[in-house]
Amino acid sequence: MSGMLYGGDEIGALVFDPGHHSLRVGYAQEDTPKAEIPAVVGVAPDDTPKIEPEVKAEDGNVSSTAPAWKYYIDTTFLHTPRPSMELHSYMKDGMIENWDLFEKMVDYSYDKIIQSESQYHPILFSECPWNLRQKREKLTEIMFEKYKVPAFFLVKNAALAAFANGRATALVIDSGATHTSAVPVLDGYVITNAVVKSPLGGDYLILKAREMLEHIGIDLTPAALIASKEVVRDKDKPKYTKKKLPFQPTNSWMAYMIKRTVQDFQQSVIQVSESPFDERIAAGFPTVQHEFPTGYRQDFGPERFKLAEVLFDHAMLGAGHIAATSAGMCDVDIRPALYSSVVLTGGNSLVQGFSDRLSRDLSSRTPGSLRLKMIAANGTVERRFGAWVGGSILASIGTFQQMWMSMQEYQEAGKAQIDRKCP
Amino acid sequence: MADVRDIMELEHPSQEVTRESIIGSDKQKKRPPPPTKTQKRPEGMHREVFALLYNDSKDVSPLFPSDTGHGYKQTKIKLGMRKPRKWKWMQFTNPARTDGTIFYHWRRPSDEPKEYPFAKFNKKVDVVTYTDAEYQQHLRVDGWSKEETDHMIELAQRFDLRFILMADRYDTEKFPKRSVEDIKDRYYKICGVMSKLKGEKKIYTYDVDHEKRRKEQLKKLYDRTQEQIEEEQFLMLELKKIEARKKERERKTQDLQKLISQADNQTETPKKADKKIPKKKLANPSRPSRVDTTHIFQVVETAGIKFPDYKNSGVSLRSQRMKLPANVGQKKSKGIEQLLQEMGLELNPIPTEEICQHFNELRSDMVLLMEIKSALSTCEYELQSLRHQYEAVNPGRTLTIPPQLLSNLELDNKVGGGEIIDVVGSPSTPTS
Ligand SMILES: Nc1ncnc2c1ncn2[C@@H]1O[C@H](COP(=O)(O)OP(=O)(O)O)[C@@H](O)[C@H]1O
Ligand SMILES: [Mg+2]
Repeated sequence: MSGMLYGGDEIGALVFDPGHHSLRVGYAQEDTPKAEIPAVVGVAPDDTPKIEPEVKAEDGNVSSTAPAWKYYIDTTFLHTPRPSMELHSYMKDGMIENWDLFEKMVDYSYDKIIQSESQYHPILFSECPWNLRQKREKLTEIMFEKYKVPAFFLVKNAALAAFANGRATALVIDSGATHTSAVPVLDGYVITNAVVKSPLGGDYLILKAREMLEHIGIDLTPAALIASKEVVRDKDKPKYTKKKLPFQPTNSWMAYMIKRTVQDFQQSVIQVSESPFDERIAAGFPTVQHEFPTGYRQDFGPERFKLAEVLFDHAMLGAGHIAATSAGMCDVDIRPALYSSVVLTGGNSLVQGFSDRLSRDLSSRTPGSLRLKMIAANGTVERRFGAWVGGSILASIGTFQQMWMSMQEYQEAGKAQIDRKCP
Repeated sequence: MADVRDIMELEHPSQEVTRESIIGSDKQKKRPPPPTKTQKRPEGMHREVFALLYNDSKDVSPLFPSDTGHGYKQTKIKLGMRKPRKWKWMQFTNPARTDGTIFYHWRRPSDEPKEYPFAKFNKKVDVVTYTDAEYQQHLRVDGWSKEETDHMIELAQRFDLRFILMADRYDTEKFPKRSVEDIKDRYYKICGVMSKLKGEKKIYTYDVDHEKRRKEQLKKLYDRTQEQIEEEQFLMLELKKIEARKKERERKTQDLQKLISQADNQTETPKKADKKIPKKKLANPSRPSRVDTTHIFQVVETAGIKFPDYKNSGVSLRSQRMKLPANVGQKKSKGIEQLLQEMGLELNPIPTEEICQHFNELRSDMVLLMEIKSALSTCEYELQSLRHQYEAVNPGRTLTIPPQLLSNLELDNKVGGGEIIDVVGSPSTPTS
């Protein structure tokens, strides 16, 4: 049984990690997810008789009077402008909100990514630490009833991120798209009453960046609408031609595409300064040049730091503050353990300088007699997919195989037991 | 010519032109030297590596593997000799599960099917249980309903007695909010009652109040502000300083005591001290420099000079016995010199047996005297500084030191040349 070396036993399980930014999908025991699918679905009225390959045919339960809809999923299909294609997010506040759209995503995942049938694979889902009981039951029901999975499990993403970083007890700081949260994990269980979250995440940063860029009059036309462009000198007016479209792209599509454009800017330009923002210190740093899809180029100086300051410079919602608050709400006996393994995860924590600033902020709030240790994976993949990687590890451990909620158990005791099976 | 050939490593011509070669020798033609046993290249060793070892054909390399049989390289796996064992996607059941669900994993069908290897890790904490009757009879308390107690026990099972998580997941909609200590208290009380019923002797109790106090204090400790922490550190430092000063003072009085008793001893039985100590040094009498390391202890132990014992170190000049040991410092030997001059004595008297002994004793006493004097002046100094301190703290008052405490050191200070001989170990030698 050499396949069980190091306590692992792979049983062909799948791991799904839904987030606001994307849905991560893949096989357990692999290093990275097979696919990261943007967490939006394009919906357009289906007025073409012929069926395109990317389109998932509706199930027969749609009544004939309802208009037929086409659903567009994944980057390539989303980034093409289509007449009256509206983009919808199926997530809200970290939880799955629109189940119909979410099922489309799951269908797509089985079909195009996993390329296998759902009844053959146990499936492990991540969830946000504040997920509601009724939503957990709903997901359980869908997976067993619709997808006929042989076994199912739900784990809080913060606990998974802690596992991915080799900890069972940790204070997990997860900075994702829509929020940043501080979640204490004790022996693999989240202490739900001490979770602290703030709505300052990647999306907020992008919003602020967009406001700033529009304020200084930069044209944010997304690449998908540009036919050709010329090379121009720094700060010169861009010269480009737009694609000729016979229709006007929808507002939701435009907003999404501009967001992606600004996201590029956010990832390559924005930086968190090591200490609270100071115009003079920031001015001392080298500028960074960024080229927009239109071909426009500009150097960015102190504004790089000023933008990122919103993540930390807030009396109540700064990342360091929520971390300290969360630890302060936990039992005093476990505080030393929490401070000595602060795990940083989530895509937004990759903004340059984020971990240094958090470590600095938090150390000034750490009780004097406690030791602070920050654990932040170096690789971007490990940081962005922290929860997924943790799920991949968990679902392929031999001792975990007894934890699954099986189809048989579901049939015997129903969806309500999810609360007991997956605490 | 031959040299050039040697350098170029060319073969010697097979026949040199000599008398024999021309005339022809009756002796048999010299056989060429037997070819040096060529070393075989070990199997598996690369030619290039072998060539490094044998760059010329003459010298045997200093390094040669003795085991040429197999070579140092592992022979390649002989593929295709055996059929590979198959892996198969096979079903299994996990005895740690109660539902007998079938999962699949990769396994060798050739492996004996045995129990799922990870099932043995399925360990559960023993959580106390009770029957309805037991509850009604023994476990009813005010403030806890049976329902709530059941809920608490259920949580204990679910979280394996992790009380912090039990408190976190407590159903606060149905039941009042409970602290970790409340839950622990209730749980351990139930445990106590149940084990008493089972007739166990040892009953553990849980002290809620103590725990609450402990946590309160821990919380206070963690919640200290930076200033408070700094203040504490400052105070700790001060405390250490005070303690160090106290110790220093104690040590000084001890030293003094020793000096005094030494002086007394010296006058009564002058030889006693001399006799006792050399014993220890017998092991290494010829190396007085070694004494240096123990120097500090010795001076504190016994003041004066300890002359090494030469009796056992073979033949030596008697004058050697009068040499001052190396541990006598510069200042001391200077002081001795000065005193000797004042007394009009020779610095190096003729070393007869008697003179030797007396001279050494005399000088030892001199050192003792100097030490006592310096200790006295230290005490005086301290007395004076204490007086100043006292006057500074109580302004307007003067501390009169009784005259019997004051020495007449000033009068005969000139004997010691006004020089202060350091009492070893005294950190603050006053310079007056
Ligand atoms: N390299 C990067 N630098 C800066 N921000 C990044 C980087 N990669 C991802 N992000 C940001 O991280 C956010 C997504 O984080 P993620 O943890 O995937 O969120 P969620 O779990 O909500 O899906 C996005 O706002 C994205 O802009
Ligand atoms: Mg996330």
